[in-house]
Amino acid sequence: MTSRRHFLAGLAAASLTPVQGWASVGAPDYLAAALFPDGTYRLAGLETGGDIVFSLPLPARGHAAAAHPKRAQAVAFARRPGTFAIVIDCTTGTEIARLEAPVGRHFYGHGIFSLDGTRLFTTENDYEAGEGVIGIWDADDHTRLGEFSSGGIGPHDMRLMPDGQTLVIANGGIETHPETGRTKLNLPVMQPRLSYVDLSGSVLEQVELPRALQKNSIRHLAMRQDGLVGFAMQWQGDKTQHPPLLGLHRRGETPRLLSAAETDQSSLQGYAGSIAFAGDGETIAITCPRGNALHQYSIANETLAHAYHLEDVCGLGSGPDGFVFTTGTGIVGQLSGKQARVAARPDCQWDNHLIPIRTTV
Amino acid sequence: MRVFAVAVALTLPFCAQAQDHGPILSDTVEAHILPGFAALSDATATLTQAAQTDCAPGSPQLRAAFHKAFDDWISVSHLRFGPTEVQDRAFALAFWPDTKGFTPKALTGLIATEDTAVRSPEAFAETSIAGRGFFALEQMLYDPRFSEQGSEAYRCALVQAIAADIDGNASAINTDWASYATALTQPGGDSPYRSDDEAMQELYKALITGLEFTSDTRLGRPMGIFHRPRPSRAEARRSERSLRHVELSLAALRELAIRLSADHPGIAADLDDAFAKAITRAQSLDDPSFADVATPQGRLRVEALQQSISDIRAIASAELGPTLGISAGFNSLDGD
Repeated sequence: MTSRRHFLAGLAAASLTPVQGWASVGAPDYLAAALFPDGTYRLAGLETGGDIVFSLPLPARGHAAAAHPKRAQAVAFARRPGTFAIVIDCTTGTEIARLEAPVGRHFYGHGIFSLDGTRLFTTENDYEAGEGVIGIWDADDHTRLGEFSSGGIGPHDMRLMPDGQTLVIANGGIETHPETGRTKLNLPVMQPRLSYVDLSGSVLEQVELPRALQKNSIRHLAMRQDGLVGFAMQWQGDKTQHPPLLGLHRRGETPRLLSAAETDQSSLQGYAGSIAFAGDGETIAITCPRGNALHQYSIANETLAHAYHLEDVCGLGSGPDGFVFTTGTGIVGQLSGKQARVAARPDCQWDNHLIPIRTTV
Repeated sequence: MRVFAVAVALTLPFCAQAQDHGPILSDTVEAHILPGFAALSDATATLTQAAQTDCAPGSPQLRAAFHKAFDDWISVSHLRFGPTEVQDRAFALAFWPDTKGFTPKALTGLIATEDTAVRSPEAFAETSIAGRGFFALEQMLYDPRFSEQGSEAYRCALVQAIAADIDGNASAINTDWASYATALTQPGGDSPYRSDDEAMQELYKALITGLEFTSDTRLGRPMGIFHRPRPSRAEARRSERSLRHVELSLAALRELAIRLSADHPGIAADLDDAFAKAITRAQSLDDPSFADVATPQGRLRVEALQQSISDIRAIASAELGPTLGISAGFNSLDGD
């Protein structure tokens, strides 16, 4: 397997090189939203070593962001059900534009740019119909160009496939309406799915879990450069059951679900917050803030490689030598081998996600 | 690159100081939970008998039995863990909110095809969850659109099948609680709860999510937004039970809250006051199906009631939660 290992490592290394426009802002490796010690919500550019190379104010609690593939620009999304997203020039720290969700829509907190950086796609809720949509925006003049169905209800995270022509969407399956806050309106009939659509909105493939896992909401995604999709889930069913929270999928195949032994799995409280492949593409991990755990799996064996106890851990990204993680208690840390170490403690309450800044191929 | 080679400390989440919660757990189970599910099971037995005796939608006995059983369900509907979650029993008893109109669709489908599933409880339990339970029965008894669909004989069989299915679920929950009571009061071993703290946290969560559901969903759905109220989205509006559900749930949640704070009389008193205010406000509404939310004055009154429930939630999370070792993690409570 040496050749495959080198192949994957090479791909991962290439993917971690920050793109040119970002060099002007100190070449951060990640974007992350946080509550700063002075009580402000900000979007930060982070190095893998934990240094904050810039931070910009947000009007409310952030969730995730999308990094432009060429320019040092980011779109920061409010936590759902936010109706705005802010386009930020990360060289000057200024707001370039504000995307307002159209009437009858709100953002879910995730979005992604097209490979060439001309389009932005956003996951949204058509809440009167109770259906998921993907908004299409012009990334240059920030106008809305249109929308198409997400292929399900409650689309959350979304990734561009390595072909640059296909979106994979985590349709969590849960219907909410802004008038009833974050109340889940359709749990008995929810149907999460992984939807593959082309950039014009044609559904190419719909992937559903076995019926017994119908209440396992597919929320967050990770993409390996060969098109292997990792998905993290949040269990909405009977709490005495501890189903898998991590899945792997390759187009055209049946999803594979990965789970730890019962004692480890039951400690996670049915909730995974973020997911990422390791820098070498050989392992994948999920963060579980309710179980205060990070579970790292071997992809080849589909078994738990290591479980780390980390309080309120949530943000997760590929690191140069494994993973980088953040916690709600303020830590930026690194995992390599079987070691977790604190890289920095900037005293920020890091929000759910670490968004890598890199080219998509 | 600035890297501190410091091992990540294996910090344990904040734990409450060891306390003996045994008496509170036993009291809550024996005086709040078990009697509630026993009453529900008795009432649903009466309901299914009433449907057998007279299945006509206008039958006074059937309607009275429907109201009594629905009352008893709402009074335990905050206890959403363990036996209620097995095989989706709670959802099969109460499919609401129904944002996409699945209940009328399911009923229309059964009636149009004269689905023979109504002849066997096992087969009926396999039909759409939206066409079962109290909300399906409510539409059969109170919605004029179902008073003439299909044949009278089939509608009668359907009413009887829904009532029997309700009774089957309620009695299964009640039966299972006999053993689940032990799991909740004696954590460790085979119990899903490892400690008294975890069992207490389950009950605390039931209190918090019960308050949330009554405030955000039972009140929030009909309120809509100021310029666009949604009275047609009120819970069980056809049988004019919307406000009654708010009152019943507040009474049940008050009882639970007082039991959970038994070791902290100050907190118990604060909670009791806050519940009293909310219940008084609800009782003064005189708007059984929240039809008045369509007027600015009516909507303001419901909004005030919602605010008084927010006050209870604030006291519960600021005062009661910390005594049970509930810490508010930035991400762990985020749910995204």
